[in-house]
Amino acid sequence: MKGSIPSVAVALFFWSALCSAEPATSVRNFELKQSPAGDAKAVATVAAGTVVDLVKREGAWVQLKAGSDTGWTKLFDIKMGTGPVAPAATSSGMSGIAQTLNLATGKRDSSVATGVRGLDAEMLKQAQPNAQEVTRLVGYAATPEQAQAFAKAGKLTPRTVELLQAGEPPKGAPAK
Amino acid sequence: MRTRIIGRFSVPTLALLLPIACATPENGSMTGTDLASAVLGGHSIAGIDLGAAVGVAGKANEAYREIPQDEEVEIGRSVSAGLLGAAPLTDNALQQNYVNRVGMWLALQSERPALPWHFGILEATTVNAFATPGGNVFVTRGLVERCGSESELAGVLAHEIAHVVRHHQLNDIRKNAKKGLMLDLASLKSGGLTGDAARAFARVGLEGYVRGLSREDELEADRIGVVIAARAGYEPYGLVMVLQTLQSLGQSDSAMAFFLKTHPSPSDRLAALEVVMPPSFEQLAKPNPALVRYAPVFQPTRKER
Repeated sequence: MKGSIPSVAVALFFWSALCSAEPATSVRNFELKQSPAGDAKAVATVAAGTVVDLVKREGAWVQLKAGSDTGWTKLFDIKMGTGPVAPAATSSGMSGIAQTLNLATGKRDSSVATGVRGLDAEMLKQAQPNAQEVTRLVGYAATPEQAQAFAKAGKLTPRTVELLQAGEPPKGAPAK
Repeated sequence: MRTRIIGRFSVPTLALLLPIACATPENGSMTGTDLASAVLGGHSIAGIDLGAAVGVAGKANEAYREIPQDEEVEIGRSVSAGLLGAAPLTDNALQQNYVNRVGMWLALQSERPALPWHFGILEATTVNAFATPGGNVFVTRGLVERCGSESELAGVLAHEIAHVVRHHQLNDIRKNAKKGLMLDLASLKSGGLTGDAARAFARVGLEGYVRGLSREDELEADRIGVVIAARAGYEPYGLVMVLQTLQSLGQSDSAMAFFLKTHPSPSDRLAALEVVMPPSFEQLAKPNPALVRYAPVFQPTRKER
């Protein structure tokens, strides 16, 4: 018991580290808010093109660390990555913890790449049909009742939401 | 030569040979292939290959024939077999069952709730997702491992469900199938696609994945996908978050290479979504603590001690 607490804490630390603190770049000028709400107090102003750390996402909002300031803005105000600036090259703007987190992110990517089994154009072109795997696929299917019970357990309630119209005239001729 | 249109199918040869066909009500309830098999029963009378004769006459219109659901499902099964030949399912039954529950719940909110929906995680470390006609949806392990929550997974699955709902892959297959292949579907009436026809559909379906769908189809699936997710009670921004994650991986990541070749860039898709997602969606994005159930099933840290 005594021994397991630190390891759980370490595991939790790394799990949260894997999910967060990724470098991002502001795509426009915006105010960093104290909380994820439109009427929340502004704590700082961030100029377009600033490299920030994404701390976490919550609904339409993201929590960012910009220099010494931490606050919230809209999801669409940032793009991920730092463009031409590599994360390691921004050491002056990065705290020790952020470096640790980025290291952790890198580790996650390499773990994903362990035992690489890609799926590319060549494999698709050469594929031979596998009927046994289709049988397995069908075996995993959920019934509507199972899906409804799952939704209920997850407190997911159906809502009426209108379809979105295209925001721009389509180029070419999509088959409808 | 007289041409008689029965349903949406032109069958001049049939009409000439068999006046009985003219007596069939022209109410469109019967397709040309239904008619051919109903009237002809077999394939040849007096040495004439009537199936081939109907096939020739039907070529001009086969691309426009409405594909009944059972035929669409059979095409999807053939394409799935091909895809699973390229990458099998992962062995994690817990995750496979979870993905099927999320997926079926989303599909129930779509315009085609009654399809035989199946969802699968493919054993591939690259980032990708696929849909086949008839309700089969696949995500690679590489993509699932980059989804940070059930809402994000739901965003991906809902995008693929939208492709199925709007027949994007089916239309692509119709457009690219060799002439006559769509008519092989008539063999369905006697128990499913098999042999050469099944392999031919698998091939044309997989070629479609190599080519990729149009940008318009992808952006439409994004727009419909976020709505399906929102209808199912998920926050509508799950897909946006996944696209941001993919944006961060960038073009140099080998896991992204094929995906980027066959899809509009994540930045392009995010820009299009930002334009159409209304501010009212923010009200649909309340945190849902019940969804913490996702992490224990999908987090990469193994429970090995």
